[in-house]
Amino acid sequence: MRVAGWVSFFLTTFITVLAFQGLIGFSEQGPDWALLSDRYFHSILIFSIKQALLSALLSIVLAWPIARALYYLPMLPARRAFLALCLLCFVMPTLVLITGLVSLLGRSGVVSPLLIDVLGVDWNLYGLNGILLAHIYLNMPFAVRVLYQQLKSIPDSSWKLSLQLKFSRWQRLRIVEWQSLRSTALVLFGFIFVLCFNSFAIVLALGGGPKSTTLEVAIYQALKYDFNIPEALMLAWVQLLIAGGLFLMVSRFGRTQWLSVDTARDDWKPIPTGWRLWLMTCSYYVVWGALVLPVLALFAGVTQGDWLRLEWGALIKPTLITLGLGILSASCGMVLAYSMLSPIRQMNLLVQSRRRVMLEWLATHALVAPAMVMSVGLFIFLLPLVDIDRWGIVFVAILNTALIVPFAIQKLKPRLYQFDAQYNALTRSLKLKGRQRWTIEWPFIRPVVLSTYGLVLVLSMGDVAIFSIFGSNDWATLPWLIYGYAGTYRIAEASIASIVLLSLCALILWLFEKVQTSHA
Amino acid sequence: MLVFLDILPLDPDLALMKKQLLAISSLLLSTSVLAADLTVYTYDSFVSEWGPGPKLEKAFETECQCDMEFIAVEDGVSILNRLRIEKANTKADVILGVDDALIEITRSEGLVQSHDVTLTGLKKELNWDDVDFIPFDYGFFAFIYNSQKIMRPPTSLKELIESDASVIYQDPRTSTPGQGLMLWVKRIYGEQSDAAWEKLSQHTVTVTKGWWEAYSMFLKGDADYVLSYNTSPAYHVVTENKSQYKAAEFSEGHVAQIEVAAITKASTRKPLAKTFLMFLISPEAQRIIATNNWMLPVIDGLTLPAVFAELITPKRIGFTPQEVADNRAFWVREWRSAATR
Amino acid sequence: MLNISQLKIAREGKVLCYDLQLDEGKILAIQGVSGVGKSTLLSAIAGFVTPMDGTIEWKSKRLNFLAVEARPVSYLFQDHNLFEHLTVMDNLSLGFSGDAPKDDLIEAANQLKVLDQLEKRPGELSGGQRQRIGLIRALLRPEALILLDEPFAELDPETRHLTVKWVQKTARDQGKTVLMVTHQSEDAEQLADECLILKGAASTL
Repeated sequence: MRVAGWVSFFLTTFITVLAFQGLIGFSEQGPDWALLSDRYFHSILIFSIKQALLSALLSIVLAWPIARALYYLPMLPARRAFLALCLLCFVMPTLVLITGLVSLLGRSGVVSPLLIDVLGVDWNLYGLNGILLAHIYLNMPFAVRVLYQQLKSIPDSSWKLSLQLKFSRWQRLRIVEWQSLRSTALVLFGFIFVLCFNSFAIVLALGGGPKSTTLEVAIYQALKYDFNIPEALMLAWVQLLIAGGLFLMVSRFGRTQWLSVDTARDDWKPIPTGWRLWLMTCSYYVVWGALVLPVLALFAGVTQGDWLRLEWGALIKPTLITLGLGILSASCGMVLAYSMLSPIRQMNLLVQSRRRVMLEWLATHALVAPAMVMSVGLFIFLLPLVDIDRWGIVFVAILNTALIVPFAIQKLKPRLYQFDAQYNALTRSLKLKGRQRWTIEWPFIRPVVLSTYGLVLVLSMGDVAIFSIFGSNDWATLPWLIYGYAGTYRIAEASIASIVLLSLCALILWLFEKVQTSHA
Repeated sequence: MLVFLDILPLDPDLALMKKQLLAISSLLLSTSVLAADLTVYTYDSFVSEWGPGPKLEKAFETECQCDMEFIAVEDGVSILNRLRIEKANTKADVILGVDDALIEITRSEGLVQSHDVTLTGLKKELNWDDVDFIPFDYGFFAFIYNSQKIMRPPTSLKELIESDASVIYQDPRTSTPGQGLMLWVKRIYGEQSDAAWEKLSQHTVTVTKGWWEAYSMFLKGDADYVLSYNTSPAYHVVTENKSQYKAAEFSEGHVAQIEVAAITKASTRKPLAKTFLMFLISPEAQRIIATNNWMLPVIDGLTLPAVFAELITPKRIGFTPQEVADNRAFWVREWRSAATR
Repeated sequence: MLNISQLKIAREGKVLCYDLQLDEGKILAIQGVSGVGKSTLLSAIAGFVTPMDGTIEWKSKRLNFLAVEARPVSYLFQDHNLFEHLTVMDNLSLGFSGDAPKDDLIEAANQLKVLDQLEKRPGELSGGQRQRIGLIRALLRPEALILLDEPFAELDPETRHLTVKWVQKTARDQGKTVLMVTHQSEDAEQLADECLILKGAASTL
């Protein structure tokens, strides 16, 4: 197992090294240092950081009361559905979200006149507004789930004790709630910051021009028209340094069980009453509405005639290809992630925290590496060696696998650490090895493995970026189809295909949730 | 991290019609198992089901009794980039669809060879004598408006920039119309360009990555004017029977975009490649291109749909490819600082 | 014979020293105040703690450098002896090379009055029941050396008496050598052949 782990490390790192080698080797030049004193560079750097900070902060601040409402009010209707929707939002293909947001809040959107006429604001979706909205839409629901899980892990003995000691509300918040959320909130902040810092499609589509450009978009621009590799490399190193450094810091200092395990049995906790109850209930419904609206907006663009006119047959093959590719990438990604965790778990047990953190960083580095550099670099590297027109689809699968590994690792890790903490000594003492050990470990990690599998499957099914570079039309996927429809202004078809994709994602998440709970 | 990259570069631009007609079923690469006698790199919308590619391929194959193959990449710039990466290993004999602004860059990297075609019958106004590149269609950049909404369009670029009408245009770094506007502003404003960009940015709704985002937002009513081509109205008339979309004619003159083809340096089938280039400027191919790619033909004397005669025919202004190649990087930097202010 | 000589273990800034000899088939009770290093000794014998110096020998064979899995040891931890996600019966059947002796296990469960619990998950059992399950497995596993860390702490007096008797009989019948950490002199008196009282004679590092 440990050998498999090191092999997996080698493979994923190798891909990144090849990608950078592709760019560096091709230009035979290093990064463009002069860029560091360019005013434009300063402005995009500041903007990248600003929007990521705001997105992460707002996502968490807004998620907090909702997570509390879910925790304190078990009688809220449709809580399970809400939590499922939260997961769906997090993995929603960006293309689908952008279509939804524009039809709601664009110049001619459904809600825009309300903002402009009723509230009297000078509303423009494009720019910081749109970027923040989209980022919050994707990440806030995710934060809700994580914070809610964390609140659930407060043992009821803590609540009983806090009541016995006659804590005030403020003391309860500070001593019980905050203590349990603190380190999770920090890691969550770092994670969302990195996701938003590296954001590409949303910034490109909703940024509204050079005023709101992120480093990732600037890399794309440098590579796309000017083929200015030194500038792209400089931007890439800066991005890697900032995002990677922050991520390293967070994984060093934040101890957390996020995306995590439900350890506690919630038997008892205080129930709010009066205006607090009312406020919590209201905010719950408001967020329900806000999350559902962009999805409903998809339906608004489709008439009954469109449903009848669409050639459904044309959707079947792309759907099957999307599923097939997704299953392939998700399966490989899970195996890689599990293998890579093997040496990491070993170090965790031996309390070698510095080496462990470095290795964890390496395992999840694809999260912070500039995706544009990864795909373009690999493309340049491979083009002279492989017939990409024919074999491109293989690389779509490989790159997608590399990109989902960090998510799989982050989600599997806490459960495996928990297993080790509780049972490592016992399994060794009982001399359980190989297959026998696996038969003990499997039922313990099964629910998490299944839900992780569902998550990474849906994530990889949403890809169109990698496909646009390596894919070929013979293998068109559903998101690629949506992209093509949108590109030819066939909004009704794009909406229908989006609805199909979204339903498929929802179905998969639901299915995995179902299998996971039925055997728990 | 997966959240980031969902929309990627599909296009810049090149005429509106191409994009609207682009069929998803034939978006990208057409891969055949056996290598063809002649391989042509082009951009994706050119070979879409309703683009000129399939018809051209059929016509040329009948003429030469050979097998030709189009390989499509995203757009004109990508053709150049792919050639830069592949260099001598390229499969391409011919590249088709880079524009005049890229000519000097392509040439200076030693990627093409002279075509040796005697150029007769090309429109005089094109004033064409390039030894490596052959033009196959062209159009003028122009601002399109809805004449049902706007009664009195501006008659000069200055008037538009100093008005407060909402405008959408494309990023000069990623889109050819965007670059066209950059040249246009530079030609007219010269040293005062950055002030003009600042002025324009005050009533710009958004600057998009590519042509379709801008044009589709305009059609949804998000702006009064959108940057496109003088040929755009023809598409609405011919395929949608809508005559309200018009191109505004500016008194200072318009910058043109000329799409060109050339033989790659690595090609070992130069005679056949040359035959293909000659075929491209024949009346048969020119008619196919004009009415499927929705751009103006490069030769005189074709019979085309009546609407082509109604298109605006502005005075042509601009820079030579050499001037563009020399100054582009500097102008882009000037634009990006002015537009971020 | 179990022979531990000049064994030195670093623990939280102190060095703990051990010396002890125990004949095969004997039961040794280890006593001493909290923190004196009783559990550490068991952990070292089982292989979870690496000593700085000294030897641990079993039947004249050094155990020091053997992996946990290679030592002839069955260890009952102070807690976390059961997998919470497996049934009690599944838990009992672990740690036997080849098939578990189902009949013996069931018979032992019967004697210790936990027969009704076998189909449940450990979470549904009381502390005392869990402890008896752990004991059954620890004693019946085919290992010569049995290490028990406070095996009777959660049992009521009556059950405690029953369990102590069962451990004594089983260990005698199967010729096990037992080291048992306990706080109760009573257990030591009832069960042990020998008694070791650890004192805080540890030197400071």
